[in-house]
Amino acid sequence: MELETEADGKLEAEVQTETIMEMEREVKTQTEGESVERDPESDTRTGEVKRERETEPVRVCVSGSTPLLWRSADLRLVRERMGIVGTLVGSLARQPRQNCRLGRPLQLQLEEARLLKDTGRAVLVKGAESECDDDRVNVEVEESYTKHLQHSYEEQGRLALEEKKRVLERVMTERFRDDALTDQPIRERLSSLKSSFSFPRSAMMVQLCTARARLGYAPVERDWLAADWTLPRDNKQEVRYRVYQDLRQQGYYITSAGKFGGDYLIYPGDPLRFHAHFIAVCVPIKSESPISDFLCLARLGANVKKTILLCSPSETESEGVIYTSIQWSGMV
Amino acid sequence: MERVGGSAEESGDVAETEGSGAGASGTEGDIPGNWILQHHKYRELMALDVGDTAQVYAAFLVYLDLLEERRWQEVTSRGSAELQLVYLEGRESESQPRQLIVPLPGQRSLSHQGVRSLLSQPGSDGAPSPSLLLAAVAPDSTLAYYRFSRGFVVPEPPDSIQALECGRERRKRRRL
Repeated sequence: MELETEADGKLEAEVQTETIMEMEREVKTQTEGESVERDPESDTRTGEVKRERETEPVRVCVSGSTPLLWRSADLRLVRERMGIVGTLVGSLARQPRQNCRLGRPLQLQLEEARLLKDTGRAVLVKGAESECDDDRVNVEVEESYTKHLQHSYEEQGRLALEEKKRVLERVMTERFRDDALTDQPIRERLSSLKSSFSFPRSAMMVQLCTARARLGYAPVERDWLAADWTLPRDNKQEVRYRVYQDLRQQGYYITSAGKFGGDYLIYPGDPLRFHAHFIAVCVPIKSESPISDFLCLARLGANVKKTILLCSPSETESEGVIYTSIQWSGMV
Repeated sequence: MERVGGSAEESGDVAETEGSGAGASGTEGDIPGNWILQHHKYRELMALDVGDTAQVYAAFLVYLDLLEERRWQEVTSRGSAELQLVYLEGRESESQPRQLIVPLPGQRSLSHQGVRSLLSQPGSDGAPSPSLLLAAVAPDSTLAYYRFSRGFVVPEPPDSIQALECGRERRKRRRL
């Protein structure tokens, strides 16, 4: 098992590692379940399995009223194919006490989940709820988890020690072979290895299970588990959704704009590669606001170097959504 | 010299003349306290007979600001019966194109549809302009201008990127 350093907490690395691990695990489960021998032909089968998975709908777990995506393959798929970004809201197992870098699950906006559902790319499944609030049961669960972590830590420590020993031995044999220098210092290190080696807790790998193999993936089961969309659809939601749909269709990437006082932040491409260009404010076309509100928005936009975009779905279907840009004029 | 208060009662709600700087205590000789009401341009705007007094007054203040303060050129006024307001057109300098300026009292409310109907006003060349300047006039006569445009207007890049590009240009020049 390869040990990672915790300094590398970037999204890409985590998603990639876990994607690979999960995909390997899932393919293994699939092949075990169907008793297919590992032979050259199975590579094509793996390819087929991968392609099938990409066209299969993604499972969105609705926890309370919050749509969540758990599997890293799904996160990748929706981002690459549908341009849906979402927000990571989970703690990292090895860096829990910070919110600078977060991990899975990916929280989707209501509009994102609705778009996935309407285009058939996802099914909404009710998320698992906590079965009981009994503190005693929770304490037991916590104890067994801590024990499991401790066991894993000891095993990883043991494997790390063996790996280090192997490395030192290899270095020793190579140096001895190359030039007849004494390998005394290395021998000394090797002998004192067991006593001097320490495996830091922060370097431990922690596996978080985010999917259960062979449960709920068959189409019949999945459809049975699928929930109806039970979230309220008021006028404001409708306006937001229509704007979201239209912007997504035009190819923009959209995230939530809570920090900026608007509805959405609009990017010309993936948010990892670009700054946002616009702050979208969704308003019904006929609703009136005081001019001082426009002033606030314009000033905000000027401060953060983004254009404010007023977005209103038109009342006639043919016109789609109407956009007006507001910029501070800079005439002081 | 007439007092400002007295003249305000006569002319209805045009009482906010404090911003004009020509208060009742002016000792400039012939300039009356209600000089705005007697200004030829103000009378011309009133004579258009569109818009309420507050909007016409706002238009007048913006007119003065553009001409006297910002030295805009060819500033003309037009009335729109359809929208019931007075608006202005002008050029920032010789090289700039003509722009539409819509003065509005700050307490007014506006809808997105209202903004779009302002944008659809034809300019002097007959075609609707792609953008307009909205001049919001506060009760204390403070003016704030912002630009409304149709569609998506990409903003300027952030400072870090501008600095990067400036740096690149400077380095290129040094090499040459």
